[in-house]
Amino acid sequence: MTVAQNTSTAGVSSAQTRRGERTIEQRQRIWGWVFLSPWIIGFLAFTLFPMLASLYFSFTDFRIGEPITFVGLRNWQRLFEDANTVNALGVTFRFALLSVPIVVGFPLLLATLLNSKVLLAKPVFRVLFYLPYMVPAVSGIFIWQSFLNGQTGWLNRLLRLIGIAEPPNWLFDPRSLTFGLVLIGLWGVGNAMLTMLASMQGVPTELYEAAEVDGATPATKWLRITLPMISPVILYNLVLSVIGLMQYFIVPYVLSNTTRSNPETNFFNLNLYRTAFQFGEMGFASAQAWFIFIIALVLTVAIFWTSNRWVYYSGEGR
Amino acid sequence: MSRKLIASILIVLVLGALTLAPVAAQGRTVVTWFVGLGTGTNEQQIEIQNQVVEAFNASQDEIELVLNIAASNQVAADTLSTLIAGGTPPDIVGPVGFSGANAFSGQWLDLQPLVDAAGYDLSQYPESLVGLYQTPEGLLGIPFLVFPSLMFYNADLFDEADLNYPPAEFGAPYIMPDGTEVPWNWDTVAEIAKILTVDANGNDATMEEFDPAAVEQFGFAHQWGSMRADFSTFGGANFYDAETGQVTIPENWRANAEWTWNALWNEGFMPNSTYENSTLFAPTLFASGRTAMARVPLWYTCCIGDLEAAWDIAVVPAYGDGSYAPTDADTFRILETSANPEAAFTVLQYLQGEAALDLVTVYGAFPALPAIQEESIAIKAEQFPSVQNWDIIVPSLSYAVAPNHESDFPNFNRGQQRFADFRTLLYGDTGATINLQEELDRLQADLQAIVDEAN
Repeated sequence: MTVAQNTSTAGVSSAQTRRGERTIEQRQRIWGWVFLSPWIIGFLAFTLFPMLASLYFSFTDFRIGEPITFVGLRNWQRLFEDANTVNALGVTFRFALLSVPIVVGFPLLLATLLNSKVLLAKPVFRVLFYLPYMVPAVSGIFIWQSFLNGQTGWLNRLLRLIGIAEPPNWLFDPRSLTFGLVLIGLWGVGNAMLTMLASMQGVPTELYEAAEVDGATPATKWLRITLPMISPVILYNLVLSVIGLMQYFIVPYVLSNTTRSNPETNFFNLNLYRTAFQFGEMGFASAQAWFIFIIALVLTVAIFWTSNRWVYYSGEGR
Repeated sequence: MSRKLIASILIVLVLGALTLAPVAAQGRTVVTWFVGLGTGTNEQQIEIQNQVVEAFNASQDEIELVLNIAASNQVAADTLSTLIAGGTPPDIVGPVGFSGANAFSGQWLDLQPLVDAAGYDLSQYPESLVGLYQTPEGLLGIPFLVFPSLMFYNADLFDEADLNYPPAEFGAPYIMPDGTEVPWNWDTVAEIAKILTVDANGNDATMEEFDPAAVEQFGFAHQWGSMRADFSTFGGANFYDAETGQVTIPENWRANAEWTWNALWNEGFMPNSTYENSTLFAPTLFASGRTAMARVPLWYTCCIGDLEAAWDIAVVPAYGDGSYAPTDADTFRILETSANPEAAFTVLQYLQGEAALDLVTVYGAFPALPAIQEESIAIKAEQFPSVQNWDIIVPSLSYAVAPNHESDFPNFNRGQQRFADFRTLLYGDTGATINLQEELDRLQADLQAIVDEAN
């Protein structure tokens, strides 16, 4: 019976193919493409095409309202000659050097604290630390702007209360502005904290038990067990932080009304935005965009390359 | 499948035809009006602008006016840039000030041939205001909204300090507390501003005990100023010589910078950036009720907010032998790329004529057209009953600074950014310790490089 049915189906299928109609597999493939097409069209039109267009523009003198002329590598050469661009790169890297260790280390510290057996009301703290991550960035920045005001801000009021007569003017003194921005950045570490905490809670308890039998102190256990075991998550957060810093824009952009055009807030992407939309130099801005993309790519590859030495993947025998 | 494809194409064609049919059937020329580079993006303004468009479209059957309003003033320049770059530029842009227009320098249509062809009467406007739009590229606008700088003052704070109010007439003296008459100039402003600046302990800035780190009330501010506007209160200047290509920061601007530095960091009667952004002086310096005088253009009436104190306006102080009121001016412009400049100019005449009073009122502005100025003042007087000196607005227009503080120069946007950087330096914490003349020299050198880059 089954053999007969199969033979019959095969006969129908070959008959349909002969008549130029599609097999079920072909029809499914076509419908698959049909359902995927909105995303594919969106990707081509709004991601790939603009990317390729910006790459082309980076070799032109494209200015809004003016004819486009091919200028070869002139924009790329200008990246290294334009004082604003060089300064913006310096500002971004200085900030990254200060910020990356903190935005990776601070959530690690919080996660360790929240993973501790002795801490009371852990769920409350977890929510409190994660909550700021849910606040829209712009609102958060405005709140921080008031909090950090040199005269009337809460932070400086507190510092004066504890005897610091002249606390830093966080947003208006170039010497303390970078620290002010790092403080603002700390507000968004909730997500990193949560992933690290989840990872810590996934460390097998038998490892700690075995270490305790061997007489390991809590610090040793943290250093020798916890840290290596969660190192893939640290790598993940490190990569995200570095990429995020290469895209750092919203905070200095929103604050630029407050800090005005302070050179210390001239981050690469803010400078890129000004070049494109304030100065109308789309060609040069495209070169800047590709340049920061390449830097982010190189840094990411470098981090992954070094990860062989410090990231532990259980099950891969490293 | 092919039958389905044909059916889909047919549906798209029918929908397209239905969309375009009303315009095509009427045979109207479509003119697009872009709003957002200046004022015009708030809800109430959008409603009135829509009414104006409806009224215009109903008034004739040749032109279809279409309104395109940017999401906000902050994104308007980006939106317009995108429209131009995308090959779908609007015909009319405005209201737009000089600075907003200069961001699109070289892209505006010379209106003179259209004015001549239509026989449009420019003599109905003060010659000085028409002159603001006369450039080497032609007549780039027709006066519409004007906002002379005025001295807004908080009468309650003056009463509290037992001080006379600033004068409401150009050339009139200021009467000091002891009855002596002194010229109403920037030195006098400094004198009385110090009396009006008070710290947390109640000491004013004339006293030795005064604590500049704990000020709770300031005597004076260049509210929402820009460096060129602040400089121009000491007189206008062609800091860029188009013939020689030389940039020079003139002496009167240097004197203004000295005055400002002294006010900020020596006498302490002007708020620095930290104070400007503190919650104590929110929502804005003057509207907080904690700033006694603010030099700011007339458009500030938009944002006085809920200030409960009695306030009024006075004339700007003199510098040397003259008085200088940096004046903002907004108008409608036509883009050079307009496919229908004649139709666009017809619309422009309507906006500046029949629709003018409605638009001026909702923009909170003052009309350049003398015929409707009185009516406009009456509306403002009703809105702000504490203000007695509305009649200083028209005379203030005669003291408009020339050249305008937003006048064009090569590489305008980069140059403006450099001026903004200088203001940041002056008002930020770094301002206290700078060598001002050296910084002014550096500003001059940088501007020269910026201008040279474009030449």
